[in-house]
Amino acid sequence: MNVIKHKICMVSDFFYPNMGGVEEHIFNLSQCLMGRGHKVVVLTHSYGDRIGIRYMTNGLKVYYIPVKVFYNQCVLPTMICSIPLIRYIFLREEIQIVHGHSAFSALAHEGMLIGRLMGLKTIFTDHSLFGFADASAILTNKFLEISLADCNHCICVSHTGKENTVLRAKVLKEKVSVIPNAVDTTLFMPDTSKRDDNFITIVIVSRLVYRKGVDLLARIIPDLCSRYENVQFLIAGDGPKRWLIEEVRERNLLQHRVTLLGSLEHSQIRHVLNKGHIFLNTSLTEAYCMAIVEAASCGLQVVSTKVGGIPEVLPPDLIYLVEPTIPALVSGLESAITDYKKGNIRCPFEMHRRISLFYNWFNITKRTEIVYNLVKEESKKNLGQQLASYIQSGVLPYLLVVSLCYIILQVLEILVPRKYIDIAKDYVEINVIHSRGDEKED
Amino acid sequence: MTVGLQWQKNLYENYGLPDNYTDSSFLEQLRRNIKLNNVTLIEAVTFGGTVCIQLNIVILFVIIFIWLYNEWASPNVIFILGVIYTIIGYFLYCLKEPSTLTEFTKHIRTVLIFLTFGYILSPVLKTLTETISTDTIYAMTILMFLVHLIFSKYGPLQISLSDSLSITSSIFGSLMLASRLASPLHAFSLLTVSVQCFVLLPFLIYKLSSKLLISGFLTLSTLYFLLLVSQTLSYVFVATIVFLHFVCPYWYVRCQKYKDNIYGPWDEAVITS
Repeated sequence: MNVIKHKICMVSDFFYPNMGGVEEHIFNLSQCLMGRGHKVVVLTHSYGDRIGIRYMTNGLKVYYIPVKVFYNQCVLPTMICSIPLIRYIFLREEIQIVHGHSAFSALAHEGMLIGRLMGLKTIFTDHSLFGFADASAILTNKFLEISLADCNHCICVSHTGKENTVLRAKVLKEKVSVIPNAVDTTLFMPDTSKRDDNFITIVIVSRLVYRKGVDLLARIIPDLCSRYENVQFLIAGDGPKRWLIEEVRERNLLQHRVTLLGSLEHSQIRHVLNKGHIFLNTSLTEAYCMAIVEAASCGLQVVSTKVGGIPEVLPPDLIYLVEPTIPALVSGLESAITDYKKGNIRCPFEMHRRISLFYNWFNITKRTEIVYNLVKEESKKNLGQQLASYIQSGVLPYLLVVSLCYIILQVLEILVPRKYIDIAKDYVEINVIHSRGDEKED
Repeated sequence: MTVGLQWQKNLYENYGLPDNYTDSSFLEQLRRNIKLNNVTLIEAVTFGGTVCIQLNIVILFVIIFIWLYNEWASPNVIFILGVIYTIIGYFLYCLKEPSTLTEFTKHIRTVLIFLTFGYILSPVLKTLTETISTDTIYAMTILMFLVHLIFSKYGPLQISLSDSLSITSSIFGSLMLASRLASPLHAFSLLTVSVQCFVLLPFLIYKLSSKLLISGFLTLSTLYFLLLVSQTLSYVFVATIVFLHFVCPYWYVRCQKYKDNIYGPWDEAVITS
């Protein structure tokens, strides 16, 4: 079977040097797609003095376009200002598929709109969950509905995420695929020799923000420390709620038992995880929790709140799922501690092997490829059909925006004609990682 | 799609099924309107009443200003009437909340401090905004009273946006009005009334239960005094009261049938303490 080669552009506001789940996802997916012979470029906004084109591992080309950040690492959605630049990049790189990431990213929506008007195929990956109750959610949901009205395919990271996206963006359920995130399990090998067996170490790896349940954590720590003499906490991550943990630590005189490591490089996380026995996740909402997979891959006992897509991520024998309340979390941790004391725990290496069977990027990439192939088959829509699909969302003024963008694109076709745009040369691979199945075909 | 596999809602099985497979259990956990809080018409009208009470107080205060400004009443009369009403109000409050009487001496001291300093400083307060033109003063006062009305504390259920902002803006508004009066004594009595209206009265009204009765009584008395000032304004006043008191609550109750809240596993968990 001959694999069809695609030319893909990943568009998102969130990319390295910013750290987070989306950034990792884009980077790993791009690497694996390149490994399978596709061409991938990443489009993001400038970070500080990082403007222009950069090459990352294996020649992953990243465009840091000179747009200023507006709020929360997002660009201002002007819809029209960056059309010339994005069009130029799409043409120059001969892009066929535009793949936007994250609902929060204004650049992804803009890139997808321009891509569609240029007759390219668009795919959107949603990494987050949204409620329906407050005003900001209503606004964002409407915006997402408009943006996805004409999207070729959506990808969600969990089944709960799919339900959420289908409800809030009103896309057809057949057009939504569930492809989870993966974890590079080779980076998260268990190493029990690093553990301090005089103590039971509870590790927390998360940004210290409200959504990650820092307020719950702050109340659990003193409670658990007073019940058990030999429990210590190791917290990696930083955020606006760090003061809360520091205050709790000082007030209860727990400086020697609660260690705050601050924000760490992704490569350092493994060393932190290997020092622990139990991993604790207190998130209040989560589409797919990468941290618990990383922890389970390192062979830790995982205690987590039962919210969002978390119950789907790990099989029940590898995780202690509890309700997001303080007594439930404490009793969950207690049963994990009792199991540890009784020796009623799974072999870390066996856990690692199972996780690496569940989640690996090669599998995820193959599944994403299926979506790409599917989208490639779809017929091109002309402007009229595109506008018709926007009508469903009910925001008619948006048709004017789309039309204006189309006119600008037509004007650019005259001012900066296609034939005068140089085609970028492909990066010549020196040693690209190959997935096992691919090598035979080459 | 019959691969002989049972679809599971997890991410580590389902190898035989396509990724965009949708199971029949899709959206099974969706819940609608589980925390529906329907307001009855009576409740809504009562809420409308609390808004009207606040509006009436502001208008009555402005009427007192007009009386003082036109010298229809002497500042002494206004002051003494104010004191009498405050004493009545204080004892009414004590009836509702008997524990306040234990701090009686403390309250008396506060009142004396306020009156002494208010009296001494009233010449300064009066001249504070005297150089500003009358039109600006009136425009600013309207703005300040609007801010007061927007940020007031309406009932216990409502989240008070900013109680202090509401009080400050109303006092500032009355301070500006005081500068238009004839003598420091006028200014002093107006400021006393303003403190009574905007600081003390809300405490009392908050304690009293029959909001509709108070609102009705206040509306009638406001209407009577307003008729003495201007007939056109009275019509506007009546229209506003009807709108706030009956039309808006009715409208709100009618709109409740459009309530459609969706709940599901994607909702952010709420921390219960």
